[in-house]
Amino acid sequence: MRNGLIFFVGLFAALLASWAGVVLGSNAQLGRLAPYYDENEGKAFPERAPGLAARGQLVYDDLGCAACHTQQVRRPGFGNDKARGWGDRQNVARDYIHQTRVQLGASRLGPDLANVGARKPPYDAEDFLKLLYTGNGGMPAYRFLFETRAVVGQVSAKALHFTGALAPAAGRELLPTRRAEALVAYLLSLNNAYEYPEARPVEPAAAQEGTKP
Amino acid sequence: MNTASQAEVSEIDPSARCTLTLLIATALFWLVVSGVLALLNFIQAFTPTFLADCPLFTYGRLRALQETAFLYGWAANAGVAVALWLLARLGGAPQRSLNWTRAGTVFWNVGVLAGLIGIACGEGSSAAGLHLPGYIQPLLLVAFGAMAVPGVLAWTGRSRPVTFAAQWYAVAALFLFPWLFSAAQVTLLCAPVRGVLQAIAGGWFVQGLWTLWLAPLALAAAYYLLPKITGRVIPNYDFASFGFWTLLVVGGWTGGRHLVGGPVPAWVVTVAIVSCTLLLIHYLVVAINLRGAFGQPGVVLKFVGFGLAAYLLGGLADAVTAMRSVAVLTQFTWFAQAQSQLALGGAFSMIVFGAIYFLTPRITGQAWLSTPLIRAHYAAAGLGTVVLIGSLAAAGWVQGHDLANASVSFADIAVHTRPWLQTAAAAQALLVVGNALFALHFLRSVCPCNAGATTLPFRQPPTMEASAS
Repeated sequence: MRNGLIFFVGLFAALLASWAGVVLGSNAQLGRLAPYYDENEGKAFPERAPGLAARGQLVYDDLGCAACHTQQVRRPGFGNDKARGWGDRQNVARDYIHQTRVQLGASRLGPDLANVGARKPPYDAEDFLKLLYTGNGGMPAYRFLFETRAVVGQVSAKALHFTGALAPAAGRELLPTRRAEALVAYLLSLNNAYEYPEARPVEPAAAQEGTKP
Repeated sequence: MNTASQAEVSEIDPSARCTLTLLIATALFWLVVSGVLALLNFIQAFTPTFLADCPLFTYGRLRALQETAFLYGWAANAGVAVALWLLARLGGAPQRSLNWTRAGTVFWNVGVLAGLIGIACGEGSSAAGLHLPGYIQPLLLVAFGAMAVPGVLAWTGRSRPVTFAAQWYAVAALFLFPWLFSAAQVTLLCAPVRGVLQAIAGGWFVQGLWTLWLAPLALAAAYYLLPKITGRVIPNYDFASFGFWTLLVVGGWTGGRHLVGGPVPAWVVTVAIVSCTLLLIHYLVVAINLRGAFGQPGVVLKFVGFGLAAYLLGGLADAVTAMRSVAVLTQFTWFAQAQSQLALGGAFSMIVFGAIYFLTPRITGQAWLSTPLIRAHYAAAGLGTVVLIGSLAAAGWVQGHDLANASVSFADIAVHTRPWLQTAAAAQALLVVGNALFALHFLRSVCPCNAGATTLPFRQPPTMEASAS
């Protein structure tokens, strides 16, 4: 390698080729992916999440929730995601087109959250807030997302009701902060139930039947 | 001074004393910081209540903090120091424009510090390898450019037209990082691509950081040190350029290996699997070229040999776990952590430790103060790394099998992996102790007040190696 110029051009070309191939190539394929309009339902999917949920995604992002939770259900037959109740179908690229910061995650110290808003038995906002306040097994409690303050007049409608040791002192109430509310709104918005044409579950059993003569 | 030691200690080295000492000292500071953060992070993994009330150190933020301190604190500073030093040596002229490096180092480290504070306060991004807040990254880009100036000058002003493998790897790392880093900034932070394309671009970047930046830096050191110390030519050196271009051309395509089974086009994953397998050619070439590093006496080659073994094993592990049938078990588990430890802590850090042990006496003219401390560092780093990777891999294996069985709850998985994570935390503690010893030893050895401590500033090459056999 005596010619420095060719060497540098080669280096640059190697980097550029991989970037063009992987990033630009997939961008050409998916960059213009549009929502899917369902004529029977009269609306397009995925639906846009409410504004509070979009803010909640930023909370999810900055607390680093993605360090323990994925948001990508794998197809039935590849892993056990369906049996764990995380979703009936695999996630597809179209599920994420409205998300500003996609949180696929790379580690499952906790359950997958791609469909946590549609979880069975159903969780409502208060269940999620209580889970965030108390923690659960391997999940730490996020007490700093809550505040305890003196009751002024009536107890707030947003106050969390605990019994026993977790109950706030008399005359005080436990309230979620704006961040906690946004985060819970985001979690409740996570629901990929709509079945796109490209997302029909590919059951391994069905595939075997198809290959029989 | 006889001729042998004159050849060993040229006038090229002392010219860079101040700059390289600064780079290595800051690198070691960040290494210890990231080790402590990683230790806290492991404790959180099996004791979720630990530091849970401190919003600055949630599990996710601490994970980002320790990774950032390692990559941009330790690896960047130490890697640049080693690359600049060997480019100057192989270029055959003293370093020029070292002011650029000094200024760049100051700004780079201020940037890293500000970035870590930003991550702790929730300003960071969630993309792996790119957790630093967006507003810090342009500063780092400029600072890196300044730090790399003497490397470029040493390449363009080299006294011989022929170049060596160590130079190719070092120049490639210095030249490609800014492009890689800025491309990732644009596609992930400035003008984020849409939907899952962010995950694809993030995978491309994080694999590029390894295959196009850190692995070349470590290999540059290994390709330089081995023939220099053993005094033998590299066997089958003709293949070295083939191995180099294989890594550079194929390495960038391996990003999809983190996305197996994910909501991305299947070809992205398939290309990554094929690339990981093709890279085995590169690992084979490295193994053939550098096989002389194994079983050599002398502390430098012990570190380098350990690092090379980890490098080769890591390449094999990447190729195997990229396969869909294996990834279905190992993906999303501690096994992935074990692999990244194998690459970063096992391969990169160990080879660079060896390089620092080699170059420090040469740039300062002062020998290492204590051979037992070097031995202690090797024992702590070697044992810590092996146990850490082994226990993380075991935790990942247990976790993978439990995840595949839908009747095992997450509470049970936590119970099953707990002993392995506790072992990993103990190993991490050992690593922190070993690396802290190394940092203190380095600071005391380069301190000008110890200049008279060694009677012979330029000892015979073998003794200068502080050969702990």
